[in-house]
Amino acid sequence: MEPGATLAIEGGARASARRDACMDEAATIRAAQSGDAEAFERLVRSYDQQVLRLAMNLLRNPDDAHDVYQETFLRVFRNLGSFRFDCSFSTWVYRIATNLCLDLLRKRKVRRTEPAAVETGEGVMDRLEAVPEARPAGDPQRAALNGELRAVIEKALDGLTPRERTVFELRHYQGMRLKEIGEALGASEEAAKNCLFRATQKMRQALGEFL
Amino acid sequence: MNCQEVRDLIPLYLYGELSFDEEERVERHLASCAACAAERARCEKLTLLLGEGEAGVSAELLARCRRDLAAALEKERRRRGWAALRRFWTEWVVSPPMWLRPVGAMAMLALGFFGARMLPEDAAVLGPLARSSPPAVVGKVRLVDTTDRGEVRVQYEEIRPRELRGSFQDERIRRLLLAAANDPTDPGVRVESIDLLKNRTADAEVRRALINALRTDENAGVRLKALEALRPYAHEPETRQALAQVLLDEKHVAVRMAAVEMLADVQEPDVAGALQQLLHREEDQYVRQRTLKALAAMKASYGTF
Repeated sequence: MEPGATLAIEGGARASARRDACMDEAATIRAAQSGDAEAFERLVRSYDQQVLRLAMNLLRNPDDAHDVYQETFLRVFRNLGSFRFDCSFSTWVYRIATNLCLDLLRKRKVRRTEPAAVETGEGVMDRLEAVPEARPAGDPQRAALNGELRAVIEKALDGLTPRERTVFELRHYQGMRLKEIGEALGASEEAAKNCLFRATQKMRQALGEFL
Repeated sequence: MNCQEVRDLIPLYLYGELSFDEEERVERHLASCAACAAERARCEKLTLLLGEGEAGVSAELLARCRRDLAAALEKERRRRGWAALRRFWTEWVVSPPMWLRPVGAMAMLALGFFGARMLPEDAAVLGPLARSSPPAVVGKVRLVDTTDRGEVRVQYEEIRPRELRGSFQDERIRRLLLAAANDPTDPGVRVESIDLLKNRTADAEVRRALINALRTDENAGVRLKALEALRPYAHEPETRQALAQVLLDEKHVAVRMAAVEMLADVQEPDVAGALQQLLHREEDQYVRQRTLKALAAMKASYGTF
């Protein structure tokens, strides 16, 4: 068999697996629409980690991220009956979550004055504690640099408009394509592209000293 | 394409968001322009640096969200059930449409009459209700071929959600909790399982699972939970050894701090050695101070010799 033929078969198998996954999800959605609680639970578990990560990245506050998580899936639950498969289910869920985050971001433009430590159900937690920490063993200089870098990134993200920030987070941290981002935000791909362009320009300017 | 146009497109080029033609033009320009190639390298570095700014999600937060959502959904379902019942009662029983009233009366009469006649006398009036199984998910197709009769034969694995309720004494519950504590796919489930297992640490197998989580789990929240669960056993050699390893390998400050706190109460020479080693490499001021305090309480020196 020619190498090209192997690739074609592998590609076909992958496409087929994707199709099966979509069909499985469609069946799960239909089951959830007809009131199957377990099916709904499966849908939640398929997306809840991404939704929480998105909310945490955008809002940088565990309590706000928690609220967005709750509200997103309650809205999904309440409106699941009207989901007509016009777009992908993930786009629909992201649309709800990003709109909630955008509303919150627009409401609070005072994040700089928020304390570094917040009271959570599990006790006092540092906002940056959840950030994966690359421990620079035996290198205090690098530790200081990482801390400084994180602070600069936080500040630069704060400087973006809510829309720029949302597009940037969705593309950079969530790995969504601009087309999907446009669909999730109810905007065109071109508008999402412009937002991403402005956001990266601002981030580049803010992080200039590290480049 | 001039330099400015290319530089504007570099971020989108790195995100893979350019059309085939645009990408081609940018690449051609980058191959022949050193200044723009340097700009591309700077943008790549920017992308790398921005990785530092990603906020992680703690397993505790995920578990809390799931718990609260389950409670909120339960409330929502109850509210929805009552609303539907009220609507049905109002629309079809209290004030049914005029056309339905004689039809309803006749139907009720017929149902009573024929129902009584058709039921066998010895049959249980309400037989066991057939419980439909939850829908299965096809996990993996293992084999596909054809039989001699031309039929297609597909052998597949089936994943079917099941629910088990019982006490901690139930061996099946215990086994499932131990398995869930190591489930690599879901930190929320791991942290919840460890939270439940923490009251069963008298069981050596549970302790081993907790030590394993402490040593290997990729999520700091899960490691912290396992560490707290092991607190009553900090004096045991196996646990002590795991805690000493945490001091040297753990990336998360909160977990290192908790390990120091636990070891501070254990007056053993090997613990002092581990704390001295930690002091040698620790950058966090709070952890350093607590380590110094613990060493002072043990009457141990600060340095290693």
